[in-house]
Amino acid sequence: MASELAPGQPAADANAAALATVPAPATAVEEAVDLNVHPSGIVPTLQNIVATVNLDCKLDLKTIAFHARNVEYNPKRFAAAIMRIRAPKTTALIFSSGKMVCTGAKTEALAREAARKYAKVISKLGFPAQFKEFKIQNMVGSCDVKFPIRLEGLAWSHGHFAQYEPELFPGLIYRMVVPKIVLLIFVSGKIVLTGGKKREDIYQAFENIYPVLTEFRKVANPTEENPLAQLTAGTAGGAAAALPAPPNK
Amino acid sequence: MTYYELYRRSTLGMTLTDALDEMVTNFELTPSVAMKVLVQFDKCMSEALNRVKAKTTFKGNLGTYRFCDNVWTFILSDVTFSTSGAGGEIATATLDKLKIVACDGRTTSDV
Repeated sequence: MASELAPGQPAADANAAALATVPAPATAVEEAVDLNVHPSGIVPTLQNIVATVNLDCKLDLKTIAFHARNVEYNPKRFAAAIMRIRAPKTTALIFSSGKMVCTGAKTEALAREAARKYAKVISKLGFPAQFKEFKIQNMVGSCDVKFPIRLEGLAWSHGHFAQYEPELFPGLIYRMVVPKIVLLIFVSGKIVLTGGKKREDIYQAFENIYPVLTEFRKVANPTEENPLAQLTAGTAGGAAAALPAPPNK
Repeated sequence: MTYYELYRRSTLGMTLTDALDEMVTNFELTPSVAMKVLVQFDKCMSEALNRVKAKTTFKGNLGTYRFCDNVWTFILSDVTFSTSGAGGEIATATLDKLKIVACDGRTTSDV
């Protein structure tokens, strides 16, 4: 039966094994990058999500700090209690107003799951915590285009959006307007995209910038790009020009 | 100047408290004198521990932590202590579980 289900597959003796092997090519196709959404063939990875939620009840942070685990509360330093959970690995800032900020999740679903877990911990301590106005406030993604980039050139041609001050920060800061995303572009080809509220915005920003990055790709063996070559050429030319000078006068 | 009453729960502190209690019940001491002895004990423990030069290091997995009212509480598992003796020899001890309560050392003399 297994051989009927999966002709051409390595002999599978159990139904489950056959089921596991048959859909494998289909999932492989799904896992491959959808070039309609990601023409670059690169999908930025989400690294951090910041979300807020309103528990809609006044909280006594000292009670929370005293009874819950993994809480820091130092009102002299910071007005919120800082609570952490291991799964999803996140940190929450809990304010006495009942507002909460949850950071560190890698996906939208995990951010919501984490926020719900914090709300549950707080309600178990006896506060009538609700779960209102959950909203993702920021998303950070990153990726690697795997080629070096001429940041100087990019900064010059996109002067309106790009800010490149290597003495202040080694990356180029690109403030895209549509979608409203800030990109940090590094010489190495590593890109950080931040400021998004939707995953699609991060993806769109990367697809927008990708052709620009290829345009300013650093050439592997540049004779003109090499500053040393330029320097030696410059001094050689200078010497040649300087030599005939004395006889002229 | 006040001192932590933390060390009254140590073996030394408990035995002292027991002895004082006995003397008070036998009318050998008045309760106020017994209290004065305990206060002096707090001071002596604090001063004596400040003189200790021996060091120990420990390593373990942090299970839970808490920081509330300026007190850190840590619960660790699989803890290894290593203490170097006077002759430079290193003694190690292992524990399944360890609870650490850490208070601010400065407040002892500042308050």
